[in-house]
Amino acid sequence: MRRRASLILLALAVFFAALSPLIRWYAFPRLAKVPPSQYQDMVLEAKNATLLDYATMKSKKVPKVSIVQTLKGNVRAAKKVKERTGRDVVVWDTLSYVADDKGKLVSRIPERYVFDAHSQEPVHAGGEHVDGEPVRRQGIEYKWPFLTEKRDYAYFDFQTRTSAPIHYKGTRTVRGIETYYFEQTIPWTKVPVPKKLALGATPETVEQIGLERWYTTKRMFWVEPATGAPVDGQEIHKEEMRWKDKPGKKPLTAFAGHVKMRPDYQDATVDLVSSQRQLVLLMTAYLPWGFLTLGGVLLAASLTLEARTRRGT
Amino acid sequence: MRALIAAGIGLAAAFALVLAVTAIGAPPGETSKKPLHTTVPAHP
Repeated sequence: MRRRASLILLALAVFFAALSPLIRWYAFPRLAKVPPSQYQDMVLEAKNATLLDYATMKSKKVPKVSIVQTLKGNVRAAKKVKERTGRDVVVWDTLSYVADDKGKLVSRIPERYVFDAHSQEPVHAGGEHVDGEPVRRQGIEYKWPFLTEKRDYAYFDFQTRTSAPIHYKGTRTVRGIETYYFEQTIPWTKVPVPKKLALGATPETVEQIGLERWYTTKRMFWVEPATGAPVDGQEIHKEEMRWKDKPGKKPLTAFAGHVKMRPDYQDATVDLVSSQRQLVLLMTAYLPWGFLTLGGVLLAASLTLEARTRRGT
Repeated sequence: MRALIAAGIGLAAAFALVLAVTAIGAPPGETSKKPLHTTVPAHP
């Protein structure tokens, strides 16, 4: 009877000890992924910002500018890409909608972002665009990979349609969560005019007036490393309309402001990330270490029981 | 010999469980019916 019990304990010890590395290095990389149906919105605000009034073509101070970002997973498009490439992908149709203090449109830029659901690497399967213009992304956008590392990443800037390094600058604590802080500065760069602007202005009308759009930003992200999700994001963002062929003429400030997450949206993000973080830690730390310990205890119990059995006979 | 068989059963069960769980995976779900915002939401 004791011998049978020690054999059962041994089988259980091997079972749990084997589960430990299998969960961490086999199951986790396959199960941890961004769901293709994810829908997420975020509101950022710039208080006391400067905006260009397209009616008077003069810059003015406004109490607040809101940037509403929506990410919507397109499941049907993701399935089609998976059929073609065999990869688990996420297709995000996104919209960055900028509104003035009265809620009126300032600009809107849609995007399609196709990426690997596990690694967040861009997948070039067609359909990627920014404001209807085809792009070929390099690096990440919006989200970092699971188990983010303390290193620089390439980050795609949708205004310039190019990627540049976003630098790791150390750890910071945000609302009790340890985060990795990343920073990227985009120098003054000529960028396309959004297809939809305030008062029906278009890239064509802007060009007819003799203006071109320039932009610079300092982008800051505080990323929770287990999930790779930013729990805070800020930008010190400036846009100018510069006069073509008139370098001496003073540019018009199209937008200038310090953009921050709206506090209620940051609270919701912190809550979401905190719960998701527990799931990631469950598979990368709690279960592997717990099962390994349990396996060790069961093995010790099995050996003890076996020794007692032999002593008894 | 019986100890080896017991260990083998434990190992096989662990592999079978993990392979089954990863093979099943998570359902893809459906595209949300919610719109891309063109107004500023009052709350999350």
